[in-house]
Amino acid sequence: MRRWTVRTHLAGLVALATVACARGEHATAVGPAVTDDAGRRVALAAPARRIVSLLPSFTEILFAIGAGDRLVGRTAWCDYPPAALAVPSVGDGMPPNVEAVAARRPDLVVLYRSGPNATAAQQLERLGIPTVLFDLNRLDELAPAARRLGVLTGRGAAGDSLARAMDSLASQRPEPLAPGPKSIVFVVWDNPPIVIGAGSYLDRLAGLAGARNVFHDIATASAQVSIETIAARNPDFIAVLSDTATPPRYAGRPEWRVVPAVRNRRFLFLPGRLFGRPGPRAAEAVRELRRVLEATP
Amino acid sequence: MKYVVLVGAALAALAAALLVGPANLPLAELPGSAIVWQLRLPRAVLAFLVGGALGVAGTSLQALVRNPLADPFLLGLSGGAGLGAVAAIALHLPGPWALPLAAFVGAVGAMALVYRLGLVGGAELDPRILLLGGVAVGALAGAITTAIVSLAEATELRNAFLWLWGGFSGASWTTVLVMLAYAPLPLGVLVAAARPLDLLALGEEPAQYLGADVPRLKRIVYLAASLLTAAAVAVAGVIGFVGLVVPHVCRLLWGRLHRTLLPTAFLTGGILLAAADTLARTVVAPRELPVGIVTALVGVPVFAFLLRRWTVS
Repeated sequence: MRRWTVRTHLAGLVALATVACARGEHATAVGPAVTDDAGRRVALAAPARRIVSLLPSFTEILFAIGAGDRLVGRTAWCDYPPAALAVPSVGDGMPPNVEAVAARRPDLVVLYRSGPNATAAQQLERLGIPTVLFDLNRLDELAPAARRLGVLTGRGAAGDSLARAMDSLASQRPEPLAPGPKSIVFVVWDNPPIVIGAGSYLDRLAGLAGARNVFHDIATASAQVSIETIAARNPDFIAVLSDTATPPRYAGRPEWRVVPAVRNRRFLFLPGRLFGRPGPRAAEAVRELRRVLEATP
Repeated sequence: MKYVVLVGAALAALAAALLVGPANLPLAELPGSAIVWQLRLPRAVLAFLVGGALGVAGTSLQALVRNPLADPFLLGLSGGAGLGAVAAIALHLPGPWALPLAAFVGAVGAMALVYRLGLVGGAELDPRILLLGGVAVGALAGAITTAIVSLAEATELRNAFLWLWGGFSGASWTTVLVMLAYAPLPLGVLVAAARPLDLLALGEEPAQYLGADVPRLKRIVYLAASLLTAAAVAVAGVIGFVGLVVPHVCRLLWGRLHRTLLPTAFLTGGILLAAADTLARTVVAPRELPVGIVTALVGVPVFAFLLRRWTVS
């Protein structure tokens, strides 16, 4: 792992040096520089002007800090804000199509830190294209990403201001819900049942909205549990990421009807575009979840 | 005597499955609890039936191909079932039975292909051709599955794999009834073939001289064991090592006659899988382990022990 990081770092430096030499410029270390979540130092000759974003969350952040007009590529999933749809898509980004990304001639590619993306970043660096790898699984990872994207795009003030807003949201103490305490379970798959645990963005959103995730004791982002455990925890609501109000397909199955909230059809339908990814609209998602919780008797 | 022990152990495994679970119900509440009647009992019964089916299918296939490494899933069935499940999700087939039915169709399709390969050039289900054909068809199904996964939307497909290695999360009285209605026919066919299977152990020619209709026997056993395994895949996904290890354990303990071997393999497989599922539900509570992990963790050391015994003796 460490050796790999060092190698990537070296590859990046070599690539950057090559680009600088080729241009015959003496631009060294005057441009913006950050350390990404893979531990690499990323230094640009000048604020990025042609950016490819390979995660919907990064696209939203870039638009929120006023750098949306610098985007020259996005993934097929980047559908917010609506202006993002005007940016050419480079595919679904899982894993990134390196040629399609390079063809946009970017001067910065922003990737979510994962194994396949780290490999893609390495390949892009070999082509002389600077890349950054950021973590973005939880609410508290939004602020550092926003701050560093601000630096890299020369929109430092806007990045800081978004980061402060995200930090203050993350440290908020929720008001108690008007109808009294509510508990909730996020069921992301039914067979085998997979639920959301404490190490996730959704768990934090639920907490900020004043609800208790009944699987808050599970430290990971998600986990396989049995229907029996869900029934025993007896949540008030089943939260479903869905753009329509159709009950999930397992709602009518006898084994699932042992869970009282399923039997009584206590489903909360949360639009995937707002709740499915961490982003600058986290406060809006919290308000929406709170509204739905208070509106459902 | 052995049946008294096995039936006693089976009852103990089922009782344990009913009594313990992540919900920690008080003993007095057990008889009236929906958790017991709708979740624990159908799940325990299904695990027992699937374990028994895999034990019998494994025993029969090992006798058929005369190879101690034969496993019900070896002959391409798991690859076919996986392809069916992934295709059902990629094509967004609706309904609660889409996934199990597609897995069943995939498994039966792979089985049919291997069967056809086994008859190529008058080979009459030559064990070597069956094993090679099974590996080849499994590889083909795996390649198509990977192609679908890499081309389709990836998020839901991960869940197809979870289901495929899943276990008994989806158990209900409906799945128990499906298994109860389906399994007796292939099970009966295999038990009826017990005596000719003993002869087959002597080799195909001697078995033929001793009066067994070897080509017909091989076809019937192959089809019945595969259809049994395909049903197990449809209700519980691919569960390894039960069909591989249980026949060996029974042979070591109770000898090689299939009249004894098949019923004991059914009971032992049922006990093993019901107990493994109870462990899977409880050891890491509130989380749950895929039952295939528990059977492998138990199965691999047993298997290593058996291999050692063979090489020593």
